[in-house]
Amino acid sequence: MVDVSTPVKWLLRLVAVGYVFFLVAWPVGLVVQHTFDAGFDNLTEALSDEQVVGALQLTLMVAVWAVVINLVFGVGISLLLVRFEFPGKRVLSALIDLPLSVSPVVVGLALLLVYNGRDGWIGPAAESAGFQIIFDSPGMIMATCFVALPLIIREVVPVLHEIGDDQEQAARSLGASTRQTFWRITLPSIKWAVVYGVVLSLARSLGEFGAVKIVSGNITGQTQTATLVVEAKYQNFQQQTAYATSFLLILVSIACLVVVAFLRPKRTH
Amino acid sequence: MSIEVTNVTKKFGDFVALDDVSVSLPTGQLTALLGPSGGGKSTLLRIIAGLDSADSGTINIEGTDATRLPAQKRGVGFVFQHYAVFKHMTVAKNVAFGLEIRKRPKDEVKRRVEELLELVHLSQFSHRLPSQLSGGQRQRMALARALAVEPKVLLLDEPFGALDAKVRKELRDWLRRLHDEVHVTTVFVTHDQEEALEVADEIVVINEGRVEQIGTPDQLYDEPANDFVMGFLGEVTQLGDVRLRPHDIEVAVTPGLAGAIEGTATRVLRVGFEVRVTVATSGGDVTVVLTRTHARQLELVEGTKVWLTAASGATTVPAMVAV
Repeated sequence: MVDVSTPVKWLLRLVAVGYVFFLVAWPVGLVVQHTFDAGFDNLTEALSDEQVVGALQLTLMVAVWAVVINLVFGVGISLLLVRFEFPGKRVLSALIDLPLSVSPVVVGLALLLVYNGRDGWIGPAAESAGFQIIFDSPGMIMATCFVALPLIIREVVPVLHEIGDDQEQAARSLGASTRQTFWRITLPSIKWAVVYGVVLSLARSLGEFGAVKIVSGNITGQTQTATLVVEAKYQNFQQQTAYATSFLLILVSIACLVVVAFLRPKRTH
Repeated sequence: MSIEVTNVTKKFGDFVALDDVSVSLPTGQLTALLGPSGGGKSTLLRIIAGLDSADSGTINIEGTDATRLPAQKRGVGFVFQHYAVFKHMTVAKNVAFGLEIRKRPKDEVKRRVEELLELVHLSQFSHRLPSQLSGGQRQRMALARALAVEPKVLLLDEPFGALDAKVRKELRDWLRRLHDEVHVTTVFVTHDQEEALEVADEIVVINEGRVEQIGTPDQLYDEPANDFVMGFLGEVTQLGDVRLRPHDIEVAVTPGLAGAIEGTATRVLRVGFEVRVTVATSGGDVTVVLTRTHARQLELVEGTKVWLTAASGATTVPAMVAV
């Protein structure tokens, strides 16, 4: 610990608290305040609006699918990165971090180029087979998967490194197959990292805006997720509904943070 | 013959870990693979277990060719230096793991786990987690876990290497007694010559990927095949053109014996019951070990002129040409 005098300590605290207050707490608090400035009316009104309810359902569906897909691939890729040596491993590892640095809007555009139904690489073929990717849920799930890709992997990889492969080798020498070793030894050892990664991915997926806006086409009542509805309602001078929907998104985020806070200490034991 | 290793070669990149190694390890015995770190002994053990694969050569366990068999089908128990306990399972669950994988009936698993925990003196700890055990207890648990599946062969990779000296000595004696009770063919890797000499029926000395000598502890100590084995199994000093153990040198304070080498005691160090003397001769420094009583009789102090000869019956090897 750096030794600093008491006034400096208080000043530093004030700066930190002030920074977070003006940047995060106040704006978020205002959204909550506006949601409830007419009691529960805004909330009940929003929840009786078909457009909002449909968007919330769509958001949940897209987010759950994206998390499930990322869970399977995330754990798989983590094992691949930690337990196996292969050419191109560093490239793969770098590519996994790409979604963190690339703007989601760019991700949306890129997916649009590859999968659109008119001149994309795969889109026309899929569309003629009766499977629409862009401007429909598959594209939205893909975009969400893309932006949330690194979250589970970056949680699981360090834990896999830390536990090493001794336990897995011991399980093998005791007669366990690869599958048995995974379910009985590897997964229980990394489960808190996986749960933590899932919670982060869920929060990220629910809040995705840019990439989804481009690939969904933002069609009212069909491909609008909750975040897109917030924007649409706000621009349509239905601010109260926009605030209420935002409040619901904030609520989910706080729930995620609470879950994470409960999980954090467990991981250190 | 229980384990036949034939012409096994293993490379890690440019590094040759094992160079055309052939060994046969007899059934029911306790064999030590002894050698310096990085000499290839652990690699050999892991290849026998199927945790690593050889580049060429074959492994035969109890008459079946195991060269291409995966680890889980070889019927070997493996004990790791750092225990490799299943951290999320209780002691009893750890020991039961192999039996549950084999889908044995529940009451049989329970009975067997109780037996084994009894054997390794951990009965009262069966519901604890491994993190609540000491190092020695964890390693005993790992041993019980490996024995649970009734392996044809028990392999131990530096099993006591991570433990402190006292626990290490206890476990060493305990392993010897356990082996006398259970009689499973056991191979353990160690870099500690005392451990190997004390516990093993047979020792395989491995250095730089090659087998230097195979024999009983007595054979190795009394008839080392070469300079390396002699040097690795105990202290060695050079007298004239032979190398021998410091306690195999006779010291006289008067010239008399033919061929005695003349020198001056330059350092006299007493360690407990023995006295270590450094003697400067024309051929370089020689280390001699005497008992306290003997040194007193000779009135040996720093500066005393002495005449050194190899004791009759001493183990000697010709000295290597200095490089």
